[in-house]
Parts: sequence; structure tokens; C-alpha cells
Amino acid sequence: MGERTSLWAVLVLPALLVGVALVTAGFDAVLAAGARRGRPGSLRETVARAVEPGRQVLRHLVQQPRRTRASDLPLARIGAGLLPVAAVLAAVVLPLGFRSVSDLPEGIVWFNAMEALAWAAVWLAGWGPNSTLSLIGGYRFLAQGLAYELPHMLAITTAALGAESLRVGEVVGAQAGLWFAVWMPVAFGIYLLSAMAMAFWGPFDQPAGRDVAGGAGAELSGADRVLFLGGRWLLLVVAAAFSVPLFLGGGHGPLLPGWAWTVLKTAAVLAFLVGVRRAIPTVRMERYLELAWVVLTPLAIVQALVVAVVVLNR
Amino acid sequence: MRAAVSRPSVLLAVSPGATRQRLAVEAELARRGWPCVSGPAEADLLVVVGDLGSEGEESDGVVAGLWRGIPAPKARVWITDPERVVDALDGGLADLQRGEHESHHAHDEHEEHHEHHEHQQNGDTDPRADHSGHDMHSGHHGHAGHDMGGLVEGLPMADRADDRDGLRLDVLHVPLGPVLADWPAGLILRLALQGDVVQEVTVEPVAAPPSPRPPFWDEPWLRATAGEHVSRGDAARRLCAAHLDSLGRFFAVTGWDDMAARTRYVRDRALAGAAAAELTPLVRPLIRRAQRSRTLRWLTTGLGTLPAEQARQRGVTGPALVADGDAYSRMLVWLDAVGRSAAACDAAEALDAAEIVGPRGRLDTPVPPSRALLDSLPRLLEGTEFACARVIVASLDPDLDELTHVPAPGTVHSHG
Repeated sequence: MGERTSLWAVLVLPALLVGVALVTAGFDAVLAAGARRGRPGSLRETVARAVEPGRQVLRHLVQQPRRTRASDLPLARIGAGLLPVAAVLAAVVLPLGFRSVSDLPEGIVWFNAMEALAWAAVWLAGWGPNSTLSLIGGYRFLAQGLAYELPHMLAITTAALGAESLRVGEVVGAQAGLWFAVWMPVAFGIYLLSAMAMAFWGPFDQPAGRDVAGGAGAELSGADRVLFLGGRWLLLVVAAAFSVPLFLGGGHGPLLPGWAWTVLKTAAVLAFLVGVRRAIPTVRMERYLELAWVVLTPLAIVQALVVAVVVLNR
Repeated sequence: MRAAVSRPSVLLAVSPGATRQRLAVEAELARRGWPCVSGPAEADLLVVVGDLGSEGEESDGVVAGLWRGIPAPKARVWITDPERVVDALDGGLADLQRGEHESHHAHDEHEEHHEHHEHQQNGDTDPRADHSGHDMHSGHHGHAGHDMGGLVEGLPMADRADDRDGLRLDVLHVPLGPVLADWPAGLILRLALQGDVVQEVTVEPVAAPPSPRPPFWDEPWLRATAGEHVSRGDAARRLCAAHLDSLGRFFAVTGWDDMAARTRYVRDRALAGAAAAELTPLVRPLIRRAQRSRTLRWLTTGLGTLPAEQARQRGVTGPALVADGDAYSRMLVWLDAVGRSAAACDAAEALDAAEIVGPRGRLDTPVPPSRALLDSLPRLLEGTEFACARVIVASLDPDLDELTHVPAPGTVHSHG
């Protein structure tokens, strides 16, 4: 499984990700607008809301850049710019159907390494502007990283264990009969939690919380802001999309072609993640850290153990 | 360009004593779908509500600092008259779309300040002066929250001190307020932070000038004691809206944006005079959802525990005393009061002038109830994480309007 695509896919990939991110952001904006009255507005208003994220991007691109006193501008810029880069690089091993831009032999490790770049990105963006609230946002992401990363790595290792390969294409191939989500539900659940935490999204948006005026991104404006917040959306899309080859059978499915199944499953996961943010208040990190280390990590280890035993007896 | 700013992001700067205006502005912004943002970096339009821009130099610094922190293109608007919110916002949008940095005034009750604004505005609107000045000064004013107290040179250098675990760590001195999203207008806290742990807190005295107008949330009860006829329903309605306002902040600070938006919608309906028959079905699902949320409970229990005994000693008389516990229990008390007062807001009989208990507590004591809440703050905040500190402040929600209000002699304070 897992064929290589031609070179043009390298160019198409970022555009595709940006497109999906804009659609997701539009969907989120429509939900946010409906929250006030408890129902969506008129069709016209809904459309206006859905294009709002695109308009925001335009607005920020014409905005004057601003800087704070004694800021470390290169650091903040690198931080903001690194986030979308990390997301796109992580997406390189993401199969659409059964094709990815590059099906590396250690694709899962590559994905994990690239999303770990987000740690550096958010921390730098928070540290750079020399402003307390953005610094607090940066700190919070490190604490969040400590909380989610260990269960997260165990969860994706479990999927690799089930397929006996680190190659994403082979993980998809191993799910031809049965999706991993069915017999590794704990790993799947933990993956979804950490997907949100990775993109500091939903109940894990504390690093960019409103209580710290936007946290790590608080002082960014103009193009920097587009890169940082856009990068966050890309990261969310990539993290959600990666759950499909890992746990939801990738392109496997009846009737429809593989790529259509990938798109459908990704859309379902994204819709779920967007919905979760609406339903649950922000989780404070010291509470989640406790949960992650005391409950989730042991659970993830037990899950990996079960999978290992099944694989050994196969 | 015009289309890109057709729904500007608004930064609200509210002065103490301007609750009525703030509510009018918030309702209008929500109606237009203009988002309220939490910092200057993401704002297009600065909306100054109340007298923040006209109280001498230091407060000028607040508005000027925020203004410098907003990236161009930008516009600003002053609102002191709740009746003229619509015009003022339209004017601000027009300025923004023309790309001129002008300001619109909705003054008429404060004519004397007008000239002053005009003056300041001219100083700032020269586009060249503004731009050349920007990169050099935008400095630490950049942030709504932290540099309000006249610190021009940015944050003071960090010093070191032992933290709660006995480690020697950097201490940052950070002023919080007076302009911060979901924050009591005018409140300034000076925090000493280590990492994001609050080590020390001082509450700064309110800087606003005394106002003869009664605080908006306490108005029905104060009017009743002054001998006016106030119906029980009006008081219940005000109480309901006041608690919904506090709850909106609480939900926003805990990161539950949808609930915050919904709560504020119901608050606006209550203030717009919706009947009990409309309000009750709006309020009930809110209360149920907040009460049933296990996550909210998990996240807010144990924060800022204020036992009744301690509360009484400090003179706290309102929901914080009834709650006899943490931030979560205070929220439950609000929810309960909202449910009861929403059902009662059609009652026509006169309010009993003998029992004057406003949303924050008894109004017949020598000091206003919010003073007692402010006095309790430092002890509750010290040793907590920054995020918890925000939740604790939101769960007490002191109303600084009460502190700027100076009653005419002999009208309100029976103990005097």
C-alpha cells in the first residue's frame, strides 16, 4: 500500500490544507454566531459568517505590523512562522486515500517529530514579544505539552504496533478488515484528546486563552498573526486527518473511492473536534496534567500491552 | 479593503461608573455581530465607554496606550450616552473604512469634556505623527492588561525571590486592569508573579472621579430607599440581569464561550424588558446546563474558598456569603438567584424599602458591598495560578461603580 505521488502534490498539499482549514474555520464561525440565540440566523447571515475567516485573513494581511517594547522580533517571527511549516511538514506522510506525498518508512515518527515543532513555535511566539500575558501563554503550552505528549506517543505507538510497521501506508493496509479504532478504543480516544491539545484547541486552548488576552498570540498582528493562528488551524486539520490512517481505516470503505473516504472521515473528526470546543469549558493545565499522568498514561500503557499480546499471538 | 473591515473587531475600554453605557454597547455589538476582542493586537476599533479618556493624565495614558497598541488601520469612538451608541459605532466604522484615524463622540451630557477630547484627538490623528511614533512608542503600552499604571518604560526588571517550593525564581510585577476582557471595569490589581503563580496581590484604589449617579445594578433598591415607588418586578429584573452579567464573565473566563454568549443574550433580553413568560424558558436551559456540567465543576471547585465565617468578618453580605465556599458554589448561588428572579420580574407590588439587598449585598451598610469583596480578594488570590486568579475575580465580580458613587447626603446610608 501507500503509493508515491508525483511532484506536483508537493504544491497541492499546502493549498489543500489551507482550503480545509478555511472551511473548518467557517463552520466554527457559523456555530459561534448561532451560540448566542441558541439557533442559526438567516441563510444570508450564515453565509456572511462562513466567509468571515477568509475576510479576517485579508484584513490582517493589509494591517500594519506592530511590535512591543524590547521584543525579540526574530524569535517571535520564527515562532509564528514555524507553526504552519510544522503542520505542512507533518502532513507530508498523510495519505489521501492510499497516496501520500511521501510514504516514509518511519512516517509515524516523522509526524510526531514535526508536531513537536509546535512546542518550539508556541513557546517562541509567546516569549518573543516581551509581554507577560503572551509569556504565560507560552508557559502554558509547555505544561500542556508535558501533559499530552506522553499518552499521545503511546497512543500512536499502539497503532504502529498493531500494524507492525512505522510506515503510515502499512498502518492503513493493516486496517483493511477491521479499523484500529474498534479494537484500540482507548488509544483512539487518547489520540483525539492529544490532537486537540496539540493544536491548543477546544478544551485545551488555555495557551491561547481569552483570560490572557489571546496568550501566546496576544501580541501578534498582521501577517504574523495570520501565520500563527492559521498555523494553528492547519495543525488542527492535520492532527484530525492523521487519526484517519491511524485508527479509522484510512481510505478503506465500500463503494466510494479511497480519497473520498479519507475526506469524509476527516470531516467527521473535524466536526467532532469543533463541536467539543463548543460544549466544554477550557481545562486548566494543572488539572489535566494530573489526569494525564495518573489516568491516561497508565491506560495507554495497558492498551499498548493488550495490542502487543494480540500481535504476538497472531 | 472596505469589505475586510465591514465587521471590525472591537476593543472595549470601560470606565467604572459606565455600566449602563457598556450594556448598551455590548448589546448593539452583539446585534451587529462585531466581535469583542481581548487585546489591542487583534482590534480595529477602540470603543471607549464612559469617561475613561477625560480624567486627567494618567487615564489619558490608558486610552492612549491602548490606541498605540492597535495596528493601523484603526479608528476609535467615545461613548458616554447610551442613547447614541448606534450613531457612534456607525461613525467609527465609516472612519475605519475611509482609513482615517478619527474619533466619534457620543457626548452630550458631558459637554465640558468635549473640547479636551477634540484636542487629544487632533494630536493623535495626524497620520504621520501617529505612524512615525508607532514603532518607537508602541512599546509596552501594547497591552490592554498590563501597562495601565503609568509605567512608560515597560515592565520593571524581574527580581528574584523564593517561590512556594523554596526555589529561587524570577518575580514579575504585573499590573492587571483597568481594561481587560471580562474584567470588572476599573479594577487594578498589582500582581507579583513567579511563572504564572500569583505570589502577592494589592488592590489599587479606584482612579475614577466620584459620580453622583447611583450604580446601575443597585439603582432600584437605592431609588426605593430614597422614597420612590419601585416595583418588586423591576428590582427582580435588575437582579436577574446583574447575575447574568456576572455569569457571562465567569463563563468567558473559564473558556466556555458559547455559554457566555448565550448568557449575555438572555441578559440583554432581560434588560430590554422581556416578560417573565419569555425569560423563564430562556433561563432554565442555561441553569440546567451549567449545573450539569461536570467539567465546569471539576475546573472550578476548590478555587478561592471563602468560608462564611471569614466572609462575615470582612463584611461580605451578598452571594459570596450565602455560597459559603469556592468559585463553583458562588456560581451556583447566582444560578439559583437568576432562576428565582426571572420568574418574579413581572411582580407589580412595591419594593420594601426596609430590605435593600442589591446583587452584591446589603446596601445599607457604611461601606458598599463591593468594597468587602475587594478586601477579600488578595487573600484568595495569593498562591493560585494566574488562570485560577482570573476565575476567582470573576466569581466575586466586584462592581466598582459602587465605589465611585457618592450619595447625596441623607438619601441612602441609614448608618451613615
